[in-house]
Amino acid sequence: MALERKIQLAAYGLFIAALFLAPAFGDEFWLNRIAKYLVYGMLGVAIALTWGYAGILNLGQGLFFGMGAYMLAMSLKLASPTSLSQGSDTPVPDFMLWNAEPGAPTDLCCINKGSFLWLPFQHQWFGLAMGIVVPVVIAGVLGAVIFRKRISGVFVSIITLALVLLVRLVLVDAQPITNGFNGLTDLGWLTIGGIEFDPYSRATYYLCAASLSLTLIVARLLADTRASLILQAIRDDQLRARYLGFNVPVYQTFFFVVSAAIAGFAGMLYVVVTEFASPTFMDLSFSVTMVVWAAVGGRSSLLGACIGAILINMIEAQVSETEALVEAWKAIIGLIFVLVVLFMPRGLGGLAHALVARFQRDEQPSAPAAVGAARSETA
Amino acid sequence: MNQALTLNGLSVAFGGFKAIKDVSLSVATGELRVLLGANGAGKTTLMDLVSGKIRSTEGSVRVFGQEITNWPEHRIARAGIGRKFQIPSVFRDLTVEQNIQVACCNKHPSVFANLRFGVSADRRRRIVEILELTGLVEVARKTAAFLSHGQTQWLELGMLMAQDPKVILLDEPTAGMTHAETSKTADIINRLKGRHTLLVVEHDMGFVREIAQHITVLHLGEVLAEGSVAEIENDARVRAAYLGSKGIS
Repeated sequence: MALERKIQLAAYGLFIAALFLAPAFGDEFWLNRIAKYLVYGMLGVAIALTWGYAGILNLGQGLFFGMGAYMLAMSLKLASPTSLSQGSDTPVPDFMLWNAEPGAPTDLCCINKGSFLWLPFQHQWFGLAMGIVVPVVIAGVLGAVIFRKRISGVFVSIITLALVLLVRLVLVDAQPITNGFNGLTDLGWLTIGGIEFDPYSRATYYLCAASLSLTLIVARLLADTRASLILQAIRDDQLRARYLGFNVPVYQTFFFVVSAAIAGFAGMLYVVVTEFASPTFMDLSFSVTMVVWAAVGGRSSLLGACIGAILINMIEAQVSETEALVEAWKAIIGLIFVLVVLFMPRGLGGLAHALVARFQRDEQPSAPAAVGAARSETA
Repeated sequence: MNQALTLNGLSVAFGGFKAIKDVSLSVATGELRVLLGANGAGKTTLMDLVSGKIRSTEGSVRVFGQEITNWPEHRIARAGIGRKFQIPSVFRDLTVEQNIQVACCNKHPSVFANLRFGVSADRRRRIVEILELTGLVEVARKTAAFLSHGQTQWLELGMLMAQDPKVILLDEPTAGMTHAETSKTADIINRLKGRHTLLVVEHDMGFVREIAQHITVLHLGEVLAEGSVAEIENDARVRAAYLGSKGIS
């Protein structure tokens, strides 16, 4: 096995081990906060997969994140004690009652025109499934249209950016069923197999740690397939790839969809950890922030982008809570971004790669071993 | 059917301007055909039509009897046509080896067929063989962006070998090359001969002599003449239109 590969494996192993050892070093409050950052880490992976490997800069990843979040939040909202105690057969979200027209029946089916859409969300599994299905379907349709039309580069970014803002607008506007600007709050806890995921419990932290580990491993495996190599080839030269017989839009859409699924999954976890879903998830600034995390961590490195997201948020929390820096923290974070972009254009991940490559050169100054071996095989 | 590539009355118009007018051409299996013509004669446009980059307005293209007129590029590629561009086009951020590996994947080109790891021993051997044929063994681990111009051209030829199409279209494979590089390219192309059917656009007459069997001369989007190197050299119309009074120098 090549040295670089060994180091890569070790890095993943260490990171995942650290995730599961963290609970030994802090209280529940701290763990809740870290769990939130782990969710951001998943978003970093999602961005790196499309941006680094496919060359698709999605400035609307918040759309998939927000969709995932809202789908589960709807289920959890119906499971909350307030929704269950409205004196009707079905649980009814409190905000629907506050805004109900006089005389409207207190029932989820018909308290307002759109409320029936909530009916299936009484089953928590439906919410969980939709949290993945909805982002996947949206990404699939969007990808098929964009990539079949051979739209690429900055135009994809503009379309995704516009779309997330559009959906945010619709979401806020559909106040009777989404609670508009206020979003969904006062949620119940996710319950799976008898385990209640209290956001301030170790169980929830482990759920996030396991989800992030799973995401990293799956994304890493995916990145090691031949399909990923072809995807990178497509990123470099679409036309060339077409002339080799590859159906380019299918490849792009496939990875776009995987990235959306990860973001939807992350959105659901975020709801479990923070107990709310809000239209701010689809703010432009949030989607752009995700891209910045990936840029700092290294867009062509899945683990790098993930660590970048976690690290920036930890620094941000640290700096913004230090009294002397309360006024200056945004400037400090901004400065970090500028310095990284100027001096480490490939981010932390790129830096790690460069170090490994240098180390490897010192080790074996002769021709690459693998090719040498391959030559002797045919000789 | 021993005709590998058949064009029948192929035409294309760009906003009223007919760039290709009623071109009929037939290349036998295993033949190497050179397309000759002055700038603007329509050589590259013809290749674009065959490979699906642009859509024809009239006429048909067949590969081994199969009609492929105006198919999308990737389906034409799957039908057995490979193309090398005039400006070398390789995957710049991948290594030389990876470039060839990607080209090797085209037997099963769908996403799901490629959700696998690594390459089979057979394919591995083929990749090494291609690296040797194209003289790229020493730079196999190098990122393609850092290759010299000549090496980039050879890499693209190597990718074509890996793709292993029945018909290969080469657009000026020696453009911008030194003498030494040109003769090495001629070697590579001569090795492709026989195994593949080739259609080559070329300006360098010395090079054409080295590789050509049959020549088709295009002039202003039409076929002007067709024949062996000697016949073309002595064709008065070709001289007037393209070669100049001195013939092939």
